[in-house]
Amino acid sequence: MRPGEISYRHAEPVMGTVVSIDVRPQGLPMASTRAAVARACEVLHRADEMFSLYKPESPLSRLRRGEIELEECPAEVSDIVTLCEQAKVASDGWFDPWRLPGGFDPTGLVKGWAAAEAAHVLEAAGVGAGMVNAAGDIASFGRPSHRDAWRVGIRTPESPDLLSCVIDLRGSVATSGRYERGDHVWDVVAGRPAAGVASATVCGPDLVLADAFATGLVAAGSAGLDAVTGAGYQALLLLEDGESVATAEFPSLSAV
Amino acid sequence: MKRAPIVLTGTAAGLIAVIGYHAATPQAALTSGTSAGPGASTLNVGGTSTTASSSATKSSAATAAKTAKTTTASSAQTTRSAVGSDVQFQYGDMEVKVTMTGSRITDVSVVKADVYDQHSYEINQYAIPYLKTEALKAQSASIDGVSGASYTSAAYEQSLQSAIDKLKA
Repeated sequence: MRPGEISYRHAEPVMGTVVSIDVRPQGLPMASTRAAVARACEVLHRADEMFSLYKPESPLSRLRRGEIELEECPAEVSDIVTLCEQAKVASDGWFDPWRLPGGFDPTGLVKGWAAAEAAHVLEAAGVGAGMVNAAGDIASFGRPSHRDAWRVGIRTPESPDLLSCVIDLRGSVATSGRYERGDHVWDVVAGRPAAGVASATVCGPDLVLADAFATGLVAAGSAGLDAVTGAGYQALLLLEDGESVATAEFPSLSAV
Repeated sequence: MKRAPIVLTGTAAGLIAVIGYHAATPQAALTSGTSAGPGASTLNVGGTSTTASSSATKSSAATAAKTAKTTTASSAQTTRSAVGSDVQFQYGDMEVKVTMTGSRITDVSVVKADVYDQHSYEINQYAIPYLKTEALKAQSASIDGVSGASYTSAAYEQSLQSAIDKLKA
């Protein structure tokens, strides 16, 4: 940080995790900055209310039990369904929340969506630059005043204390991995938990799509990379045998 | 090409931002006491408090500490540990231990994590260290964040907070 640049950080416990927000007001008064961060947090909590599967009365939980129809849900729920459809098409079917055990489960996409919405709120409020990190899925806008981009480390699958590489981030980055919640990434094509890819990291303009690609790539492996680059995104796969595969323009600053 | 990981070094002072405890380092960040919601905020002007504490550690210890565990106090600061309350959560129950040197958190570990099934065991194995990662990343002046798949438990935070409260009392 260059001397003089103000950084305001906030950590919000929400969605079963902690979302950290780092904003650089870059001219916006501090009172307005704080107010913007508070509104961004409201967005995160609303997403949690809508989509938590741990809350039996959330609209998504009720939809999955068949108690209500999609038309009866808040508008955000149908927005998410539409985004899931788009992500399924873009990923050549590798991301498919309809083919998961237990029925339609868009939660793989919701965390990134909520972080992106929170980032939009901050940007619209006039915050100069900011980063919303929803437990590893990051939406950013602008840049720190002394650098061309945000600098983000990608953790290794083996240890949260180790980084595989550091990237120059413009836009969004999402990482999915088998270490996340056991074998929670489901290979929808083979009909079993995914194996082979330890983690997949995807960078690009939109966090929702990056998140969907990352989830899909854990199942698809290298076979899914064409769909990712075709959509204008870049990916890094860390394989269980210790090898790694990155697309040509993956913004890595250090060897992986 | 085989991967060669980058080791994150430093102490766990960054955890402060996550769990709502503010250390009093010499160049400490201004604390925002008016933030909305249950989260914690810090306001940093011209250099973060974590940067200050990392460089202080390096300059005071000729043999640079590699991990939080081996970081030692350079002066008369005392090192104390406390175990937080046993907190029940969705998949079991856990206790978190925190170690502080002076006013800085220097280590966080899970001393007990009883879980109900294999799936929960995996969650604990792979996901609980996430907050520690957040803490460690904040020590590194050269990066702004860490991307990685994760899952965290409110029980972890709760037990950690109670351990810190014990040390502060």
